[in-house]
Amino acid sequence: MADGNGSETRTHGRPPDRAVVLAARGITKRFPGVMALAGVDLDVREGEVHAVLGQNGAGKTTLMNVLFGLVHPDEGEVYVRGERVQFRSPHDALARGIGMVHQTRRLVAAHTVLENVLLGHPRAARGVMDFGAARREVAALCERYGVRVDLDARVWQLSEGEKQWVEILKALYAGARVLILDEPTSALTPPEVDALLRAVRGLVAEHGVTVLLVTHKLPLVRAVAHTVTVLRAGRVTARLPAAEASEADLVRHMVGEDVAPVGLEEAGRRLGPVVLEVEDLWAYGDKGTWALRGVSFEVRAGEVLGVAGVSGNGQEELAEVLAGLRPAAAGRVRFEERDITHLPPLERWRMGIGYVPADRNGVACVAAFTLVENTGLNYHFDPGLCRRGLLDYQGLEMLTRAILATFRVRAPHPHAQAQHLSGGNLQKLVVGRVLSRRPRLLVAHLPTQGLDVEATAFVRAKLLEARAEGAAVLLLSEDLDEVLSLSDRVAALYEGKVVAVLPREAADPSTVGTLMAGGRARGGVR
Amino acid sequence: MRLGPAGRRPEAGAAVHPVLRAGLAIGLALLLASVLFWASGADPLAAYRVMFGYAFANPSGLVASLHRAIYLAFCTSAFLVPLRAGLWNIGLPGQVYAGTLAAYAIPFALGLHGPTPGAPTLPVPLLMALAAAAAGAALGGFVGFLRARMQVNEILVTMMLNSALFWIVSDFIKEGGPFMSATAEGESFNLPDPLRPALWVGLPPTALVALVAAAAVDFVFSRTAAGYRVRAFGLNPRAARYAGIDPVRVSVGVFVVGGALAGLAGYHYFAAVPGLYKIPTNYGYYGDLSFYGIICGLIARGSALRALPMALLFAGLSLGGRFAQGALRLPFGVDYAILGLLMTSFVATHLLDRSRLRLLPSRLAQPAGTHAEGAP
Amino acid sequence: MTELLARSLEASTVFLLAALGELLTQRSGVLNVGLEGLMLFGGTAAFLAAQAMQSHLAGVGAALAVGALLGLLHAFFSVTLRGDQVVSGMGLWILSFGLTTYLGSPHTGPLGLERLPTVLGLSPFVASAWVLVLAFWFLLFRTGLGLAIRSVGENPAAAAASGVDVHAVRYLCVVAGGTLAGLGGAAYTLSYNPVWNYNFLMGWGFVSLALVFFSMWNPWLLLGGSVLFGVMWQLSLNPELVLPGVLSRYVWRAIPFVTTIAILALISTQWFRRRWGLAKPEALGLPYSAD
Repeated sequence: MADGNGSETRTHGRPPDRAVVLAARGITKRFPGVMALAGVDLDVREGEVHAVLGQNGAGKTTLMNVLFGLVHPDEGEVYVRGERVQFRSPHDALARGIGMVHQTRRLVAAHTVLENVLLGHPRAARGVMDFGAARREVAALCERYGVRVDLDARVWQLSEGEKQWVEILKALYAGARVLILDEPTSALTPPEVDALLRAVRGLVAEHGVTVLLVTHKLPLVRAVAHTVTVLRAGRVTARLPAAEASEADLVRHMVGEDVAPVGLEEAGRRLGPVVLEVEDLWAYGDKGTWALRGVSFEVRAGEVLGVAGVSGNGQEELAEVLAGLRPAAAGRVRFEERDITHLPPLERWRMGIGYVPADRNGVACVAAFTLVENTGLNYHFDPGLCRRGLLDYQGLEMLTRAILATFRVRAPHPHAQAQHLSGGNLQKLVVGRVLSRRPRLLVAHLPTQGLDVEATAFVRAKLLEARAEGAAVLLLSEDLDEVLSLSDRVAALYEGKVVAVLPREAADPSTVGTLMAGGRARGGVR
Repeated sequence: MRLGPAGRRPEAGAAVHPVLRAGLAIGLALLLASVLFWASGADPLAAYRVMFGYAFANPSGLVASLHRAIYLAFCTSAFLVPLRAGLWNIGLPGQVYAGTLAAYAIPFALGLHGPTPGAPTLPVPLLMALAAAAAGAALGGFVGFLRARMQVNEILVTMMLNSALFWIVSDFIKEGGPFMSATAEGESFNLPDPLRPALWVGLPPTALVALVAAAAVDFVFSRTAAGYRVRAFGLNPRAARYAGIDPVRVSVGVFVVGGALAGLAGYHYFAAVPGLYKIPTNYGYYGDLSFYGIICGLIARGSALRALPMALLFAGLSLGGRFAQGALRLPFGVDYAILGLLMTSFVATHLLDRSRLRLLPSRLAQPAGTHAEGAP
Repeated sequence: MTELLARSLEASTVFLLAALGELLTQRSGVLNVGLEGLMLFGGTAAFLAAQAMQSHLAGVGAALAVGALLGLLHAFFSVTLRGDQVVSGMGLWILSFGLTTYLGSPHTGPLGLERLPTVLGLSPFVASAWVLVLAFWFLLFRTGLGLAIRSVGENPAAAAASGVDVHAVRYLCVVAGGTLAGLGGAAYTLSYNPVWNYNFLMGWGFVSLALVFFSMWNPWLLLGGSVLFGVMWQLSLNPELVLPGVLSRYVWRAIPFVTTIAILALISTQWFRRRWGLAKPEALGLPYSAD
């Protein structure tokens, strides 16, 4: 999606012969039970876009956190312009001209843009702040880099693209000459991605900034990078000029072995009756603005309806309304022809609706509960396990053992606390718990977010199994590939509206990608 | 906060055995208290000998200790039930006062408070106990409702109710208040003999009720679906909602039960125990005592039954402390000092234990869990 | 009437000083529900020291020191050990409630010092509190440190990523907050009502805590709220001034507490919540860890 208009402005091919501005030697970092980085070397040259490519969990973010002083390596050294440095905090890194824009926004939502840019700046470090002078400086900086953003707006009012610009602005204002961008496109619409890439090229070509781009997206690398370093499982597997790297090579370096793709087996299956019918559904978001604005669709038994959308366009709210966790302001939801618009969550569970929420730690699990007790979250009302008010803990334990085995959850034992499980295992457990109820409607929101390749494939296969057994599956995902490979029909959600529902034959990446973006570029950034 | 046995297995995360930890906390507090005694010029060992001797070896002291222990047992359960839902019921005094007033309203309404009461035709003690429970439950339910429906901080509300109810009691028993005794000494009328519940080996029937209540609390949390729902809500309200658990029902429910138990505590101490049978001038002291219930509940880590021996110990300590005050010329408030020190040593042992792993080198420590929904 | 007003302002100063300390603490994301305990301990220390050394100043010094020490304890539990802040705060309150009763009892009674000099019937505490309101507003909204404090309370991860030392800022605020709570206690026992009694505050600290919620974490609104409560408090002590013969004096004493509940409920309504929700420090009550 990023390389559509890239060819004439493509900048790679420039020989990376300039001075090394930032270097790492033998960086090793262990976390409990995990070797995050194992002897990583990195050379970033002045004025280049250096991509660090790798899958989730490859150690990219940890490496960047080391370079930015947020994480202290167990072994290894960092050099800035040839000089050995030891960063105790991001402050030290900033003092050396290294700035970082994190994958998740590190902004204070309740504060203004200007306050966010100033936070941590030397100007704000001591005594009374001269807001007037600071405003003039930041405004001048905006002018220089062509950023249009209201300095007095509160950050929570901004779009994702604008928030990212605030962070870049903040780093530049702090004097960064090396800019680390960690997965900068993950929350952006395609037009915002294009704008970002144009800006990155501009920063590098016209202002001599060095950019360290961390990503798992190949098109991005091919669109802007001069040099690529590929990480896999905490080790560098390749280091090469971007111009010389073929896509297939990069994939091989990144993934290691081939992973069998999961996909729909055959087309033309017979669909069952309509299970879920959503009609002109409206709902408020957390901020009191409309999050859903007249959504309508239906899902039949035995099909997957994939809803593609960039985060913040109403997916979360849609999932919550369907699960009964968020009130519908208007419209109707029918499950097997019964109006469930205003039913509480418990009734929906009882009727045969299952929900896999996006936030497995905060919503789907109680961290301090054992796995057995967590299974109880989906069964405390079940007549089979709750008789005359008593909860059958032995039955729950047997059930949990069965789920652990079927879903290949690696856990020491069923009475381990949920907080000691890794994200992938926890997610497999949650999906297992929900599917063990054999729901006739499954709502799955970001079911594979943050999972490794194997766990992702496993969870996807299980979703398809549920479909094969006749469940209606509503898959809400930000991962276009996931939606396209699993869905019988694809809907695009944009600004709280379903802009189209396409059969899978008609749903190609560029069409759906365009629909997800609403065909327009909002946001004050050019 | 995370307290109490999870399900039917011991917590995997607990680093020190709960009984050992409770002993540690109590021992530390007594050690600190002995420093206080020593600073006041008393021999700590002698002080403890006097205290324990009076509380547990002296027949009249022992009965008084038991009466007070029953009171504390009610208070402990009243504190624990909301705590399992992650809610702090520090409104024990207020609920005790409300229960007491409601209990005394029964003989007052039946005209049985005069100097020559007629023979009651109704089971008045039972009615009084029920009224006390109902009043406590109503007050607690109000708190639970505000908490669940409007997210009003329950600590503030219960504390405000404590102060408000304190003055309301004064209004009832002083300066011409309806419950004022005929002699106008700033206390309530005496409960006439026929309205005092029968004693069995010196103990009123409320002893049995307190015991059954404690057992029921533990049973509910370890075996029933309702108890499971409360625990899930207490540890992660969002997950509880996801699971279809109604937050309003949980919050109101635990506070209704907690309030009812605290109301019964009020009935027990002011209307069922020899030596009182009235609302005395210093009723505030009995309200303050209920805070021992908070400590019992905290140190017992959520188990009401495990709290019973502690309730007896603390009852004896506070009574014996009062006694030692007179015998050894210690300053007033030994019982209060012990209350404060127990709380501190509990917090210290609890937090140090929880963070023990963190103080070890990071690679040995467990990954920090998701942060608790801490804000009230 | 002017005397009633002066007394009301004295009373409001006790609320104000403690609540300002709590406001600062909460702005940095730490909740201290043991405010009443800090005030009790500060007030008792002030009373004992002033009596022993026959000096108001010594009393104030003792209150500040004790408040700072208890604040430090709370900071250690809640920031370093990352414990549950409610547990720690409750612990501080009950500790102070118990210990001050024991330590202060032998000195029950009047302070026995000359009353503090007054200007227009107001003690120096009143003026200091007002100056502190201005100072706190300036600190929070016009200085770099204030920006850091507010950011730490809203989003500690973002503040840390900007190079702010979250733990240092929280320690600073919690200790300073404790110091002010101690001063609030001293304003009570040295000036407002210089007579020591067991549990002399009887809920003032919790009312102050509630005032912080009412104030939307803004020092100026806090000033307004505390004056309102000061007046209400004095009126509840002297109801005959407004409504002679209506309700008994004991019922009047209950009214400030009932009003507090009513206001708490009011500001929690949907209608109010939108503004309130935005003003509340997002990270209030949540421990922060760098990893």
